[in-house]
Amino acid sequence: MAGNYSSEKKWRLFRNYTYTGTAGIFIFVGLIAFSVSGPEPYPLRYPSNFGSRFTVPEDNPTTKEGVYLGRMLFYEKKLSAGNSVSCESCHQQKRAFTDGKALSTGLNGAQTARNSMSLANLLWVRNYFWDGRAGSLEEQARFPLTDPHEMGQDLQESVRKLQETAPYPALFKQAFGSDRITEERIVQALAQFQRTLISAGSPYDDYLAGRYDPTDLELSGMRLFESNPDPERAIRGANCAHCHGGPRLHKELFHNNGLDLSASDPGREAVSGERSDKGRFRVPTLRNILLTAPYMHDGRFASLEEVLDHYSDHVQAAENLSSFLRGSSNEINGTQLALTSPEKQAIIAFLGMLTDTVFITNPDFTNPHNHP
Amino acid sequence: MDVYSFPRLFVLLLLFVYKAHAQQEPTLSITGEVQTPLTLRLSDLKAMEQVTYTANDREGTENRFKGVPLVELLRKAGVTTGRELRGENLVKYVLVSAADGYEVLYALPEIDPDFTDQVIFLALEKNDAALPANEGPFRMIVPNDKRPARWIREVRHITVRFALR
Repeated sequence: MAGNYSSEKKWRLFRNYTYTGTAGIFIFVGLIAFSVSGPEPYPLRYPSNFGSRFTVPEDNPTTKEGVYLGRMLFYEKKLSAGNSVSCESCHQQKRAFTDGKALSTGLNGAQTARNSMSLANLLWVRNYFWDGRAGSLEEQARFPLTDPHEMGQDLQESVRKLQETAPYPALFKQAFGSDRITEERIVQALAQFQRTLISAGSPYDDYLAGRYDPTDLELSGMRLFESNPDPERAIRGANCAHCHGGPRLHKELFHNNGLDLSASDPGREAVSGERSDKGRFRVPTLRNILLTAPYMHDGRFASLEEVLDHYSDHVQAAENLSSFLRGSSNEINGTQLALTSPEKQAIIAFLGMLTDTVFITNPDFTNPHNHP
Repeated sequence: MDVYSFPRLFVLLLLFVYKAHAQQEPTLSITGEVQTPLTLRLSDLKAMEQVTYTANDREGTENRFKGVPLVELLRKAGVTTGRELRGENLVKYVLVSAADGYEVLYALPEIDPDFTDQVIFLALEKNDAALPANEGPFRMIVPNDKRPARWIREVRHITVRFALR
């Protein structure tokens, strides 16, 4: 019958459609396979009592390839003018990513304005730096990279240097799908690596998990750390936990802790423009505190003994002194906290429980240029 | 001294006082799920309805707080209160943050007079004087909270949000 397909022709047409369909499926599967072979998610593992109140930017998910690239960059001196320093220069793993100096040393021995901060559990931090001026790790990274007193190199120059340094183009391709290096991708990779710097392996973590028995001295230090002094009811305390407590030993707070009657460093005031923020600084984490001397934003205290002496006996009545340091005393009508010498030693013994040797020896955080 | 000097000086002085005042008058911002984001100055807040509440502090001293009901601030910003506080609006919350970064939250029904007799309010005064530096200029008073952890001091921002997920 003219105009009609023969049954054989119909069959062939059917087969052709089927082939096309099959080819389509193969292409589709291929696309899936391609996306699976892209960057692999990096699981951020932490104890449940740390809570999940953190945000990872949607445009910068944490991936194994991105984290490895970030780790390479963290230890890369080419990111500094004259290839002289890297992030590690001020953030050494063995010191919980600090540098042991009162003020850090950048390019040509230049001193920074403030003490190097420990890089532990940054995932939960919301405002970075002593004055909280950066709202994300991505934003944070730009400061030390380009500050003339730190690494002192324009990001454009860093892009140019890395673009012609193996294996960076390949590593950027694995992490971001393209070997085109950009300023944005440099800070994104650094942020990814820093999100993985989780410290959760100290004796204190083990104690909270019921796996560690503190010594009597540690226990008495812990009690002081957590107690609000109440001399009328004969309760002795140092009230540290009010600002430093919780399983992470960190709260997102900015306080004037009475170092000076009138602060010479404006601190948070420079960010907020509010006069009442003068001399307010980040309340830092106490994790690994034994490893991160010297202390305070300007590194003025060489030892924890000096720190305890300050909080116990020398808090200055600055106008905006933290209300939690005001009038808190172990003596009736006392104006200072007034801890005894053995009490200070007990608190320091407790602070020793916060040292996380797993964190400072974790091979995932070491210099990959030495041991890839 | 010519005849114009004194008035000139006086005007300059007035200007200086006005400028210093304008720079330093504390403000409170209200943003988020609102019809009108607001930045209110202390003088704006003083012009609103005021309530008082007397409470003992930890030392047993009686203090009289005076300020603006939080619900009035929410109404001014156009937040779903009263008859509108139903359905998905019931999963909105008010996040209050302080100068030191401390934050607390209340659910809308904890604030709304259709739901509760408690009047959470933003105190502007304590014992007929401005709140002291480390407590004010604004402090939230939550009469039914026995532990004053949500009596947040040095309030700077109020944000209204939906609970997500």
